[in-house]
Amino acid sequence: MVVAEGLTKVYGSGEAEVVALDGVSTAFERDRFTAIMGPSGSGKSTLMHILAGLDTPSAGTVTLDGVDITHLDDGELTKLRRDKLGFVFQFFNLLPVLTAEENLVLPLSIAGRKPDQEWVDQLIRTVGLEDRRTHRPAELSGGQQQRVAVARALVSKPAVVFADEPTGNLDSKASADVLDLLRRAVDEFRQTVVMVTHDPVAAAHADRLITLRDGKIVQDGAPGGADDVIELLKQLD
Amino acid sequence: MTRLSIKSIWARKVRAFATSLAVILGVAFIAGSYVLTDTIFAAFDEIFSESLQGTSVVITAQNPVKQESGEVPTIPASYLAKVNGVKGVKEAAGAIFTPGGFFNEENKAIGTKFAPKFISSTLPKGLESLTYVDGRRPRGPGEASLDKAAAESAGLGIGDTLKIIGAGKVEPFKLVGLTQLGHASFGGASIAQVTLPVAQQLTHKRGQFDQISVAADEGVSEQTLKRRIEKVLPLSARVETATEKANRSSEEIKENLGFLQTILLVFGYVAVLVGAFIIFNTFSITVAQRISEFGVLRTLGASRRQILGSVLLEAGVIGLIGAIVGLAGGYVVAVGLRALFAAIGADLPTTSPVLEARTVVVAFLVAFIVTALSALIPAVRSTRVPPIAALHAFRPAPSRRRRIVLRVLAGLLAVVGIAFVVAGLAGGGGIGTRAARIGGGGLAVVVAVSLFSPVLVRPLADLAGRPLEWVRRLTGRLARENAKRNPGRTATTAAALMIALALVTFITVFASGLKASVAKVIDENFAGGLVIENSDGFSPIPAGAALAAAKVPGVKSVASIRTAEAKLVGPGSTVKVNGPTPNIEEGVDIEWVKGGPEKLRHLRDDEAIVSDDFANEHNLEVGDSFELLSQSEVHSKLRVAGEFESKLGVFGDVLVTQAVMADAFRQTKDTTDFVILEPGANAEKVQAVLTLGAERSFPTAEVLNQGELREEREKQIDSVVSLFYVLLGLAVFISLVGVTNTLGLSIYERTRELGMLRAIGMSRRQVRTMIRYEAVITALIGAILGLVIGVVFAALIAQPLKQEGFTLSYPVGTLIGILVLAGLLGVLAAIIPARRASRLDVLESLQYE
Repeated sequence: MVVAEGLTKVYGSGEAEVVALDGVSTAFERDRFTAIMGPSGSGKSTLMHILAGLDTPSAGTVTLDGVDITHLDDGELTKLRRDKLGFVFQFFNLLPVLTAEENLVLPLSIAGRKPDQEWVDQLIRTVGLEDRRTHRPAELSGGQQQRVAVARALVSKPAVVFADEPTGNLDSKASADVLDLLRRAVDEFRQTVVMVTHDPVAAAHADRLITLRDGKIVQDGAPGGADDVIELLKQLD
Repeated sequence: MTRLSIKSIWARKVRAFATSLAVILGVAFIAGSYVLTDTIFAAFDEIFSESLQGTSVVITAQNPVKQESGEVPTIPASYLAKVNGVKGVKEAAGAIFTPGGFFNEENKAIGTKFAPKFISSTLPKGLESLTYVDGRRPRGPGEASLDKAAAESAGLGIGDTLKIIGAGKVEPFKLVGLTQLGHASFGGASIAQVTLPVAQQLTHKRGQFDQISVAADEGVSEQTLKRRIEKVLPLSARVETATEKANRSSEEIKENLGFLQTILLVFGYVAVLVGAFIIFNTFSITVAQRISEFGVLRTLGASRRQILGSVLLEAGVIGLIGAIVGLAGGYVVAVGLRALFAAIGADLPTTSPVLEARTVVVAFLVAFIVTALSALIPAVRSTRVPPIAALHAFRPAPSRRRRIVLRVLAGLLAVVGIAFVVAGLAGGGGIGTRAARIGGGGLAVVVAVSLFSPVLVRPLADLAGRPLEWVRRLTGRLARENAKRNPGRTATTAAALMIALALVTFITVFASGLKASVAKVIDENFAGGLVIENSDGFSPIPAGAALAAAKVPGVKSVASIRTAEAKLVGPGSTVKVNGPTPNIEEGVDIEWVKGGPEKLRHLRDDEAIVSDDFANEHNLEVGDSFELLSQSEVHSKLRVAGEFESKLGVFGDVLVTQAVMADAFRQTKDTTDFVILEPGANAEKVQAVLTLGAERSFPTAEVLNQGELREEREKQIDSVVSLFYVLLGLAVFISLVGVTNTLGLSIYERTRELGMLRAIGMSRRQVRTMIRYEAVITALIGAILGLVIGVVFAALIAQPLKQEGFTLSYPVGTLIGILVLAGLLGVLAAIIPARRASRLDVLESLQYE
């Protein structure tokens, strides 16, 4: 479980001071799919970066399974990423020199662990790329690449998977496949997923929607359908 | 984003410097070679003109044949009376200026190994060029002076003992004065002065002078006096004005040391060539990385010409930095090279550094031409970027046609190169043309291989990378894949190292062959016993040494060889003449082609035994005659009495009797003495006695047994080889800068990828390992190609030398060592990029486009 307490992030100083996050406190429970939305500059990306240990807050703490991650050194952060975190990026970020399957097991290879072949096979079946195992990313479509990326985030069975605009570079069909995959990760593999998005359709796949504005949480609840999300965003504007 | 762009500008600044470094180092080496040699020549000019202070006319002996050993013919003392009778002569004096050896009380040599030490005679005040800075002039027997620099470095002061050896035994002197000559430093050379009779006796030149110095009366010009003196002297005397003599000496020095400049420049241009690869690579990569930038400029209305101009301007700036910093660096290089030569015992004269206009012009030309040529292809490529490239990632793949053209070009170049090498090897033309053909052909082959190498990168990267994967599975794998990702880029980077290592390999293999051949000749032809030679390995030894050695108990006899150079009348080519004692074959075996030991034992003064090479070259049969001209202008007509097999030229071209050696060549000193032992004599004991005697009486002589002789020769080869290694070190270093530069640029391209790897759990250490391995793989590709080229060339060049007794030997251990070293150098080259990659901020990298 990830708990954020009083997260504040200030960029710059003096007149150029920008408050990206303004005392955000929240918690993300296990086996839940949470979407974070908000207009540009609302602090949604900053929040996720801090939650994932990629950025440090100006004030406040983040604890992951009871451990404060805001004051870890690089070595501890590396270990944390290996053991507890999974990432899905907007630009897939697969290594062009490796095959789909090699990319999938990359986190385990990096950690020097032997992949559990059964689990890898299951993941490949789940993402529907049984016949694409030995293809290189350049030979895969955008949707296929992102499905490999999702599987890669799941392969080490992390405590939380952070997805940063995972559908931002995909067409609607491919987006639907990826979101479906994230949904199944929570439902079938009992994973915890936190996703930043600006796509209401994407947000509608989540169990919970947090909306940020000017660095503050302005809404927190079940998203309902895509139309409800759009309605909600309109109200907030 | 601002932070990012500032970062990228900073990155570019560093890159511009790193790229310049490739030019700077090469230019600095070339400029430094010029500065060093110009300074040495200037120092000699100073020394020569200083030494003729107060002198108007100089009389020496003509020497139509140049002697490598530095033996110069003398003039009879009787000339002095004739000169003194000439009108307009104010003062004239004979002088001795002959190489010798200096030692301190404990028989420790003074001055560096290869620098000359001169025994000179005092001159009347008006003609004396040495200034006494301390003490006084030597006045009689047992007194000597020494130049201040030599005395200081040897820790000698007035009143100390200075031992001097000339042609006979070493003799002790009391140091009574310290001298100086102008302001130039002699380097390792030194001058000791004694009175004229003492000098003549020391150098065995009684009744002889090396030179007569003449001062003119007031109002009598040098030229007039010269003409008058010429009239009273025979033609064999060379009469020159002081200016003419100084100029001739300078010219001779330039001729003798010209090879030094050539060798240094060859290494300089190798470094520049290596640098060219790096500049080409850097520009290719940066142009590729800036494609969208060029696209934007094109959409904004920039013309192709403007784009081309902007890239070439960047090259111009790099060239300018290269020329200016390179020139400045030239001074440092000059100092470094001097120290290097001093370290191997060749401490050269020096004065304040000389920067000739030529040096500046060459530095600028080389810097600009190299950068402009290297940047031209990438610059032209940049003009082909269409405006659409501004909008999406545009990667102009090299067309199939261009690839084929390149390969055909590489093939043609290789064929032409090999043809040139073969033509050079087959002979024809002087040694210069042959060397140029071989060198030019080699260059063509190297360029051909580098054009072709992108094809080789994949298999070679697999070959070099697999073993790394056994150590570190994933990082090794990624490194290998990354190296193969852009074969052209990796190939060019590796090619730079390939050139440097090909030369290293070539020299290593060739030198190892040379050592093996020398060892073989010594082992096969040396009949045991001991050898006495000069400790510098080439100068003659005092005549008395052989006589003294023959008296030692256990010594049966001593055979000797004396050496001189002559001109073959007709073709005019230089001939190496050796005069052995009749019993020489008790010490060394001669392999006879025609005739036999009997011929040599009873050789007459009008007969000669020639080498098979000499006989073939000049169509000589046994019974034919030929004529030699010695440097003392004596013509000797000789009949061929036999032929021997030339083996590495140890016996030279022509063998004559020692009587001929003395009469015609004025050579009475032995080059090598072979000590033949009594049967049953204790060799070790005899050697100990001989060594003790040599130390006491002939400290320039060294007594060696067969093993030591072989070691001595091997050591001589090794010291030249290590000098070449150091000179090639620069090219290796530049190629490493290339590896660093390419890696840095590749990392910059892969920033987002690195961010992702870190985000999914790659540690900094793993990032560093991955980058380091990529560098190691690149370096190993260069090393493998370089090793192959070097070995092939050494084998090729050894072919025509085989009949001379040259055998190739492959120093497998050393070659493996080169490979390992290349890998380690890759590790070094990766330090900076690896650190930079591992310190990338994960978040920034991920957002990086």
